Amino acid sequence: MDLISILATVILATTIGTLIVGVGAYAAFKLRDSRKPKAKKTEESSAAGHAKEPIFLKRYVPESVEKSTPE
Amino acid sequence: MEIKKVSRYVWGFAAVLFVIGAVSFSFNSVRNTKGSFALLLESYVLSVISIYLLVFLVILVVRYAAMILYSFMDHLEGLYKETDASSNQERSDKILPMISLVVPAYNEGVVIQPAIRSLLLLDYPNYEIIVIDDGSTDDTYEKALGVAREAHSIPIRVITKRNGGKAEALNTGMSAARGEFILNMDGDSKLSSNTLRACIRHFDNPKIGAVAGNVKVINRENVWTNIQALEYVEGLAMARKAQSFMRVVNIIPGPLGMFRKTVLQQVGGYDHDTFAEDCDLTLKMLMRGWQIAYEPTAIAWVETPSRLLDLLKQRYRWTRGILQATSKHSASLWQPRTAGVNCFILWYMLFEGIMWPFSTLLGNLFFAYVGIQYGLSTLLFYWWLQLTVLDVIAAAYCVVIEEEAPSLILYAVLFRLFYINIIDVSKVFATIEEWRGNTMTWGKLDREGKL
Repeated sequence: MDLISILATVILATTIGTLIVGVGAYAAFKLRDSRKPKAKKTEESSAAGHAKEPIFLKRYVPESVEKSTPE
Repeated sequence: MEIKKVSRYVWGFAAVLFVIGAVSFSFNSVRNTKGSFALLLESYVLSVISIYLLVFLVILVVRYAAMILYSFMDHLEGLYKETDASSNQERSDKILPMISLVVPAYNEGVVIQPAIRSLLLLDYPNYEIIVIDDGSTDDTYEKALGVAREAHSIPIRVITKRNGGKAEALNTGMSAARGEFILNMDGDSKLSSNTLRACIRHFDNPKIGAVAGNVKVINRENVWTNIQALEYVEGLAMARKAQSFMRVVNIIPGPLGMFRKTVLQQVGGYDHDTFAEDCDLTLKMLMRGWQIAYEPTAIAWVETPSRLLDLLKQRYRWTRGILQATSKHSASLWQPRTAGVNCFILWYMLFEGIMWPFSTLLGNLFFAYVGIQYGLSTLLFYWWLQLTVLDVIAAAYCVVIEEEAPSLILYAVLFRLFYINIIDVSKVFATIEEWRGNTMTWGKLDREGKL
């Protein structure tokens, strides 16, 4: 068996192995993700009719910061 | 939305019809030649895939060559400007405009204090720091406030708000900013001290609406983060450098981007409808005719995922976010005359986002199949070798230009050997989920405080 054949076998095994690891890791990531509470939905849910309430019209700046901030 | 969904299924149906047509054509050929249908179909499919992969490889080689050429041209241009600037002397500090640094932070309690303190050391006479606490559930706000209460010559303001996402936090910062220019960054980024001076000089050109910074990996502690360090230098920095020569950088990175405030206001700030708000904003600016430059000496050091699942989470969000942003501006895909170079940029993004991962995955499966079925595993080796050679050449070039550690070049082999295969699988699944319109979450990376 020449060097190229050995390298080719190594690459073949690695490629198949990493593809399997890739699919497995993706499944594990999705499983872990599905167990966490949903923080934000895509546009579909937000555009479904619930108008987003503006939340920074009244900006809150703590007094202590205001005093310490040089104008 | 429904129309979009229907359109997707129409395309899917058309693809199925095409495959049925191809199979029927093969069946007729079998009848004519009186051969085995399975053999002919296999030969037919393998031939089509071979031709496709050949075309893909040609595009890839052209892409690498163009990237290296254009990034080198940009490098030369940068050197020329540097000489020119030094001969004209540094401009007076008094005439430098004010810059507002906006630092959005959500649960960045581990890193927020060193991040703010590093900002106080920036070499620039006229700037302010605005920290936006995006409704963190940890002690981010208290810690940021702690630094703000200390006596500094640089004004620091800390604003807290209900959690609404990064885009909203950045918009809040934009509203509060007093500066003529705004530098948006991440709460976990650390900037090089020359960042503000290096970026602001690009705005001498009135056509420049924003400047993208250079993002580098700070936590090079294991094989995953070291490969990402190479990826940031080779995949991101080189691409931005090449795009900068044309003044069409397509993504101003979240960790470091400087904007004219008027331009941010003109495009309406960041939108909430994508998971890649930085990419979306950049495309909005390009569509309005603004040019975007890249400053390689302005560096943002960031912490990258050091574990595989965290890395997949990040790449999943990037892939879907970029596809969402591209989809928002997809009208320009079919208007080359009016959209000009933006049309090309969008096609390029689709190539990198969809065609590249799908094709490398297809290539691996194809060569693995012929390797097992026909014992032609040398074909897979040569396929792998030519991609690795391209990566190593690009890595060597980038390491020299970016003055990075030469050891990074070795990671190009590991990059092609296993890293990109795993990432591509994730990208392909993310693309399919985006096509199907699955819901998704933001995917916050848990910081380890390596800054």
